[in-house]
This record gives sequence, C-alpha cells and structure tokens, in this order.
Amino acid sequence: MVTISLQRAKCIGCNYCCEMASDRWAMSKKDGKTVLIGSVDKRGFHIVKVGDHEYEDNKRAEKACPVNIIKVVSV
Amino acid sequence: MIELMAPAGNFAAMQAAIDAGADSVYFGVEQLSMRARSTMNFTLEDLEEVAERCAPKGLKTYITLNTIIYDHDLGLAKKIVDRAISAGITAIIASDQAVIQYAKAKGMPVHISTQLNVTNIETVQFYSLFADVMVLSRELSVRQVKTIVDGVKKDDIRGPSGDLVRIEIFAHGALCMAVSGKCYLSLHTQNSSANRGACIQNCRRKYRVVDVEGGHEFEIDNEYIMSPKDLCTLDFLDQVIATGVSVLKIEGRGRAPEYVKTVIECYREAIDAYNEGTYNQEKIDAWMARLAKVYNRGFWSGYYLGQEMGEWTKKHGSSAQQKKVFLGKGLHYYPKAKIAHFDIDAFSLKVGDKVVIIGPTTGVVETVITELMVNSAKVDEVKKGMDCTFPLEQLVRKSDKLYKLVDVAVEA
Repeated sequence: MVTISLQRAKCIGCNYCCEMASDRWAMSKKDGKTVLIGSVDKRGFHIVKVGDHEYEDNKRAEKACPVNIIKVVSV
Repeated sequence: MIELMAPAGNFAAMQAAIDAGADSVYFGVEQLSMRARSTMNFTLEDLEEVAERCAPKGLKTYITLNTIIYDHDLGLAKKIVDRAISAGITAIIASDQAVIQYAKAKGMPVHISTQLNVTNIETVQFYSLFADVMVLSRELSVRQVKTIVDGVKKDDIRGPSGDLVRIEIFAHGALCMAVSGKCYLSLHTQNSSANRGACIQNCRRKYRVVDVEGGHEFEIDNEYIMSPKDLCTLDFLDQVIATGVSVLKIEGRGRAPEYVKTVIECYREAIDAYNEGTYNQEKIDAWMARLAKVYNRGFWSGYYLGQEMGEWTKKHGSSAQQKKVFLGKGLHYYPKAKIAHFDIDAFSLKVGDKVVIIGPTTGVVETVITELMVNSAKVDEVKKGMDCTFPLEQLVRKSDKLYKLVDVAVEA
C-alpha cells in the first residue's frame, strides 16, 4: 500500500505531477491547482491510499514538485 | 506629474506605502503573480479591502497577473480579472496574451508587464492596441528610454483610453541576471519556473568555475558571479525624470514593510525635491544613507547610464546597515493619553532605543523610546517576559509587532 498526500493550498500549478503520474493527478480548471484524484481533504492535506504499482510514478511526481508539497510513502 | 508606484506583499506593506506617499500600489493575488513561493500574497477575498484602503487616499491599485499562463490557469486568471473589476481595482499588469485579451474585452485597463521586454517604439505601437501603460525592459539606457518616450509623442501613440501611452520604468530594487525574468536556471535545476514566479534564485548563490577536463579550478575574484547588486536611480533621478517617463516602479513585493516605507519615502522626497528645484547632492547623500539601512545587495545604476555590465554583489543576502529584532506583541493603545502597551517576549527594551512597530492596519511606525513604564512606575529597561507602556503619538493595535532597530557592523 502507498499513501500519497498533497498540501494543496501551496500548489503553484506547474503541472509536473500530472506529467509524471497522469492517472493520479489532474489540473483543476477552476483554481489552476493540482487535484490528487480520489483523495480526501483532511485539514488542507489531501490524502489517498493506492496500490504498490502506483509507487514509482508518484515518487517521480514527488521528486518533480518544485514546492515540495507531495509526499509518497510506502506503508 | 510622475507616478510613484510601490510594491505591496501584504497589508502592512501596503499601509506603509500609503503613508509614505506612494501614488499607486501593485500586488499579487493567488499563484499567478510572479511571487508564487512567497507567503506574502493577497487572496481574492482581500481585493475589496485593498481598494477601500487605497482609493479614498487617491492611490491607484494594480494586480500583477503576469506569469506565463497554461490552459489550466485560464479559469483562475479570468476569475482574478472579474473580481478585480467588481472590487474596483484600477488595472491589471499582464504579460500573457490570453490575460491581455480577456482584460481588454472586459474593459479592464491593462499594463504591459516588464516580462514582455518592451525595448522599442514599434512594440509600444503594437501593444497600444491593448494597453495604456507599458513597463519598459530593465536593460535599456536612459537615452533609449527617452527615445521611446519621445517617440510616443512624435508618433501620437494612444492606448485604448484615447490618451497617449504612458511609459513606466523600474526605479529601484532587485535586478535579475537574465533579461527581466527570462531565466531558466531555476526551471532546469529544480523544475521551478521563474516565469511562473517560482524562481529559487540560483543566481544569488556562490559558484566556482572548474575545468572539467583538467579538473583545474579557475580563480575568480568574486564567487557571486551571477548576483547583481540592486538597482538604485535615486542619485541620478534628475536624468531619469528628464526622460519624460510617467511612472516609476519600486521593486520589492517580497520585501518587508519597513523597506517599503523607507524606499518610498526617499523617492517621494526626491521626486518632490526635483519638482521644487531643490534636488541636490547633500539631499542625495542623506537619502542614500537611509536606503543603505534597509535590505539591499549594494547599489548600482543598472543599465540606465550605459555602463558596462557586471556590478555583482559580494556577499549573500542583505548589506543593510540596520536590522530589526523582534521584541513583542501589542496589548493595547490608550488613545486619550497616547500610550502604547506592549508585551516584551524577547530581548529587552531600553529608553533611547529606536523601535519600529509593524502591523496590517498600522503599517510601519518608527519612533525612539523616550519614556518607559512598568506597572505605572518609570523604568530605564524592560526585560523579556514583562509588559510595558510608552508614549506614542500614532495609534497602534493588538495585531502589531514591536521590533528594536539595531545597527549592523559594516564589513570593510
């Protein structure tokens, strides 16, 4: 199992996470920030648990994020 | 009359700009403002208050909406323009054609951002279809600026309002090592685009130059080989004003409120002195001494005087001769007696100390402590953990913070 979290308010809308893991991330046309698909908002931290097969792509998204607001942890 | 435009990263800086005599303020909203990393940005909900504070004082208000825009940003960009119109903001500073087109269609005045690097009269002619104010590229000389300003009159170039296009230039503040923001260092090293306002300032770091094949390191006198000093035009402001430009912009939305206060005050006084015919060396020296006290990387004249490139800073961070040390928070103000009540949470406060009080409504208030009281008894010093009162003419608030101003040792 892999936990992905996003501190959404700090997103600057660069789009890199969508490029790295396009099945899990999408840019919102409403506010220009990224959306972590399937996540639940817990006090500003958007969190989702996904299967191990998504680990690699999302780890790349974590690494690419210029404002370090994505965390991908294997649990 | 030349317009003095101040940066505002938050309400305290905005209030400081108003009090210091700015004619207009510019500020960012959300993440499309070229200061995406800054915690100092306004939100859409703040726009009404910005207009309410500035308009009655006669200040114009401008939103920077000048990053490059992706498809997913269009919704937010349009929302910002719409909200700006309904809140009564004066204009939008834009660089992306989508933003320019939308604002124009909605009847919102547009300023062409320096990010578009306007460097010639025909480009001014082109953008006059959309905008009444254009910020020139920061890499022009005063001669080139004057040629463009004269060209606007000669060719009778008018913006959508029907008035002659007004030319704006940067007068003071940080400069970029690349042509006005056209830099990709941050994008290449950290995926963090300067053109999206997320610059990590690679240019401000120390570098060594190594010959990869031989492994030899080149000797260079200064390791900060890409970090330009700050632009300052105050000591040749007469030449700048003589170009006929309409607006002088002060850079620094990321800088502290007391910086905005000091810089705007100095430029306000200098512009007024020029208009009164009293702009002289003695005054310039005094202004320069004040400017040196707040955040700066050392000063140079940028490209305006046509000098050679390469005025690089010699250290990391600021060369300010003064710094502020946090002392404590506001508790109360007694308006009849004109007494301020503050908690001292750190260090100590003495009679004779120079202090600055900063807050979102108060702006920036500088004063010297003449008298200190603890529990109605006069004292010379208040230590950490105590609360104290002191006489103060200006109203201060609970949301204010008190700082002591201390001199920084100047390096040889």
